[in-house]
Amino acid sequence: MNTFFQVTLADFRESVRAKWFLIYSLVFGGAVILLFVLGVTEARVMGFTGLSRLLITYIQLCVAILPILILISTVRSVVGDRESNILEYFLSMPISLGAYFWGKILSRFFLIFIPISTALLGAIIWGMVKSLSIPWQIAGYYALLLGTLSWCFLGLGMFISTLVRKQEWGLGLSILIWLVLLLFIDVILIGLMLQNQIQESVIVAVSLLNPIMVFRAGAVLLFDPELTSMGPASYVILDNMGYYGFLAFTILYPLSLGWLFSWLGFSRFKKGDLV
Amino acid sequence: MIKIKNLTKKFGKTPVLDSINLSVKRGDRIALIGQNGAGKTTLIRIILGQYFFDGELAVFDKNPRHHRVEILERIGFVPQLPPPIQMNVGELVTFSAAISRKSSIDDIYQKAAELGLDIGKNVKKPFQKLSGGMKQKLLIALALAGQPDILIMDEPAANLDPQGRQAFFLQLIQSLEKTTMLLSSHRVDEIINLINRIVEMDYGRVVQDEQIDQSHFADKMLACRVTLTKNHEAAIRMLKDWGFKNVNGGLELEGSFIGAERLRFLTSISHFANHIQKLNIS
Repeated sequence: MNTFFQVTLADFRESVRAKWFLIYSLVFGGAVILLFVLGVTEARVMGFTGLSRLLITYIQLCVAILPILILISTVRSVVGDRESNILEYFLSMPISLGAYFWGKILSRFFLIFIPISTALLGAIIWGMVKSLSIPWQIAGYYALLLGTLSWCFLGLGMFISTLVRKQEWGLGLSILIWLVLLLFIDVILIGLMLQNQIQESVIVAVSLLNPIMVFRAGAVLLFDPELTSMGPASYVILDNMGYYGFLAFTILYPLSLGWLFSWLGFSRFKKGDLV
Repeated sequence: MIKIKNLTKKFGKTPVLDSINLSVKRGDRIALIGQNGAGKTTLIRIILGQYFFDGELAVFDKNPRHHRVEILERIGFVPQLPPPIQMNVGELVTFSAAISRKSSIDDIYQKAAELGLDIGKNVKKPFQKLSGGMKQKLLIALALAGQPDILIMDEPAANLDPQGRQAFFLQLIQSLEKTTMLLSSHRVDEIINLINRIVEMDYGRVVQDEQIDQSHFADKMLACRVTLTKNHEAAIRMLKDWGFKNVNGGLELEGSFIGAERLRFLTSISHFANHIQKLNIS
């Protein structure tokens, strides 16, 4: 266990010094600051204003950019260490494969989650300073949603990292997967519906396999409990799961997916040549 | 300590190691030599449990892939190229001491001092910012502090300049008198005073496995006379570096060296074999 925490701490120290972490932190911290500066809290959408309005915009930004940022930064974990011979050196020390792999995942989770949650917390604190009304329920749920989505794409990124032998392939595969997931939110599914007259419930079920879709729906759910913005799909979802069932699904499904990909990555990692 | 029998390793369909048979016993100090692509690094990585393989391999009577942590606690490894670690020296030392059950921060500091590196003065410096020699010394100190039963070094002086390499190996000789070693290198002449066995690899096979016995002449002075075929500047410069002097201003040079150095001398002069008419050692 000591080795596991030592690896987590060592990887955290290594990654904090890397440029990608700085850029990543600036993107999300800067986004919140920009939203305040642009007066987003003054605008009104669907009846929401103030900090709620800002949080909704922030989470929509995260839907757009968080998955690809996580994938790009994570996919270089194992394959990058392999290419640079860091893996050869660290695995010549008495470190178990489990301690190395899971220590790296935990470190990366902290690195991904701390900036985005700090930005969220910063927004709340600034809202308190400005005497805005604090939507604690939305903030808490969004923090949970960000955490579970981070875990999902972190697991996927680590899995890709164990599949490929070069960083370029990993980056290419990450971008391809992200594009497919984005396209499957609306474009491809609408096309399928129109062309093949597939049963609506099947289309909705397929769309809900997409973690980005789940994240988007979850972001909408708290301020649109009837999911009216999702059109007829809302009937299928709410009839089958109910409001609280779907709320739980938006958290548990990406979390489970993240664990599944992480385990697949670890199995792949320890069954092959390590370097 | 290491027993290898019919060990084969392929990457895809390409065999990199082909039916290797080798055993390493306590006290062996082996120079693992061979051209690029001979399979030296692959063999080292298999011993460290980083590759799967066909055949039999036992390190301390265990399979290194199935008992990695147990075996690696008894092995010290110094890689060919210092990895691009972002941590500073202090953090790396703390990490290494925390991972190992047998080394402490004080041990690492002491080993580094023996090799001529003051960790205290560089503790906040990023590992990447150290000079090549300092990086290698730190990596060796980290490896030695764990009191390894086997020290494995893959071209440890590859990125040092000639002067740095000479000083580096001199210090190693002083520090590592009784350590079992597997030392991969292109240059036998540099490490000849460290080792007592040479294993040469070529195209994935062991082509030579010889003990070196320096005891007969080790402490005797040997006189040597070399006759060159022509006035070859590099050969003359090399011989003069060994303290040789021209005889009668011609193509003959004579000098002497201590017996322990004879293999190193012969390796150095072998580069000019085409230009030597006669060589006499007595």
